[in-house]
Amino acid sequence: MDLSRSIKFDNVSKRYGAFHALRDVSFDVNEGEIVGFLGPNGAGKTTAMRILSGFFPPSSGRIFVCGMDMSKHPHKAKRAIGYLPETVSLYPDMRVIEYLRFVAKLKGVPSHEIQGHVRSKMSFCGLLDSGHRLIGRLSKGYRQRVGLAQALVADPPVLVLDEPTTGLDPTQIKEIRELIRALGQNRAIILSTHILPEVSMLCSRVMMINQGQILASGTVPELASCLKDREAVHIKIKNSEDQERALKILASVPGVEALKIAEEVRGETFISFETSPDEDLRPLITKLFVEQGISLTEIQRLQLSLEDIFLGLLKDGKLGRRFS
Amino acid sequence: MKKVLTIARKEFTSSFHSWLGVLTATLFFLAAGVFFVILILNYVKISMNPQQYGLSNFSGISQTQYIFGSFFSNLSIMFLFLVPILTMRSFAEEKRQETLELLFTYPLSDYEIVVGKQLGILLFFGVLLLPLFGYLAVFRWIGGEFDWGPVLLGYAGFWLLGAAYLAAGVFFSSLTKSPIISALGTFGVLLLFWILDYVDDVATGPWARIFSELSPLVHYKNFTLGILDVQDVVYFGFFFFYFLFLTLRSIETRNWKS
Repeated sequence: MDLSRSIKFDNVSKRYGAFHALRDVSFDVNEGEIVGFLGPNGAGKTTAMRILSGFFPPSSGRIFVCGMDMSKHPHKAKRAIGYLPETVSLYPDMRVIEYLRFVAKLKGVPSHEIQGHVRSKMSFCGLLDSGHRLIGRLSKGYRQRVGLAQALVADPPVLVLDEPTTGLDPTQIKEIRELIRALGQNRAIILSTHILPEVSMLCSRVMMINQGQILASGTVPELASCLKDREAVHIKIKNSEDQERALKILASVPGVEALKIAEEVRGETFISFETSPDEDLRPLITKLFVEQGISLTEIQRLQLSLEDIFLGLLKDGKLGRRFS
Repeated sequence: MKKVLTIARKEFTSSFHSWLGVLTATLFFLAAGVFFVILILNYVKISMNPQQYGLSNFSGISQTQYIFGSFFSNLSIMFLFLVPILTMRSFAEEKRQETLELLFTYPLSDYEIVVGKQLGILLFFGVLLLPLFGYLAVFRWIGGEFDWGPVLLGYAGFWLLGAAYLAAGVFFSSLTKSPIISALGTFGVLLLFWILDYVDDVATGPWARIFSELSPLVHYKNFTLGILDVQDVVYFGFFFFYFLFLTLRSIETRNWKS
């Protein structure tokens, strides 16, 4: 077993009674990687992160952090991890600097280093001017910075960030993303999100999770290549009475997959399907529709977005093979 | 141990930073003062005219015993409100604000968290008792006389009873997310202990023995009378550590509960 990885999940499961929050999840993350956990609410993202952060142990399976077995050396492993929870909850009646000193002591930073250590984290997160403010009086964006600062205390080589940009305004989101990108250069970072563009912006690798299982995982280039060999075609027809006939024609065309009626607006019907980009089906479809007397108002090729892939995966897990 | 102290210190200072902590301390100080003054006035009244109160000979009743014995036993009623207020925030508030989650992810053992929190509250409670020594000075100043032994034993007993009750309060706080429910639960249990003391008075035979052995107030009574019995100290020690253990268990339930 390769223990040099920063994070290693080995067949990790978590059950709450009969409910499986995670089923046999295995993956690893190396230094310098930012891995995005992607999944709908309740998919198991937070459970996986809580297990990794040491909040609770898994029901079965093992976790290694920088080669240390979490169950055997919980303190050492926890020291190597900085965790930013989903709802950044900090003591509202403490001052920023006082809180960070408290965290530094708990994480075992030597007393004579605490002053300088806390200061450097505050400066990194842009908190130098807010050191003596009460946490409860800070804006959401600043509280998120304090949350990030506490995760960075004791310089952990692994960072676990649960939805780090939720609830922030666009400027704050941009700032936090820049901080994360800077941090990712010499650390292993796992972040969860349900904002899809964030993944392509920040992460070098993506893991899609649903119902406690990893549906797909791959680097962004791998994802991109997958995007390249699929595309969506959108068709708009004028009369909704023609809908049935149109669907029948399309179903008979070879290469058409995932055919569905996307929308019906004011008598017009939008139909979409997926196909491979090697072959342009548009001339053929236009010809068939004209022959049958169906009035076609629009036909368009679209690249599949991360969203489409994700939704497709959630529906049938069909695309999963391509990644793994 | 260093981490335990760090948590204890945080707990201690946050009690002082909250208006609730300061208000509780002030009210406790004032209420104790009222008890004390009433007892002194009573003593003065009886000593003026002992026959009227059916006492033929007053010299046998010492100031230490009359004033301080009653003072400490009356003061124990203050726990009914003091303990729920001091303990309701310890875990429940952290659960409500979800700050506990982060604490669990630091390189700490559960026992360090539980012991640290308990220690912080005990320290705060200890500080609450300090001003009471001011009353001793006032008592001396107005010409009263007392023996240090029984008075200090009374303080020690009060602190031990308080520590035991606080451990129970912290346990209730660890069960819920709501400080109010924690306070009500703690109040309920303390009331039960209070009732146990009364039941003990009316029960007969082996039951009386069982109730009196169980009742914290019966064990506390010895301290107020100036009697130091190892059994009582052991009882409070057991009481305290038992609830500390229960709190630890209750904190560990996160490992299997959703």
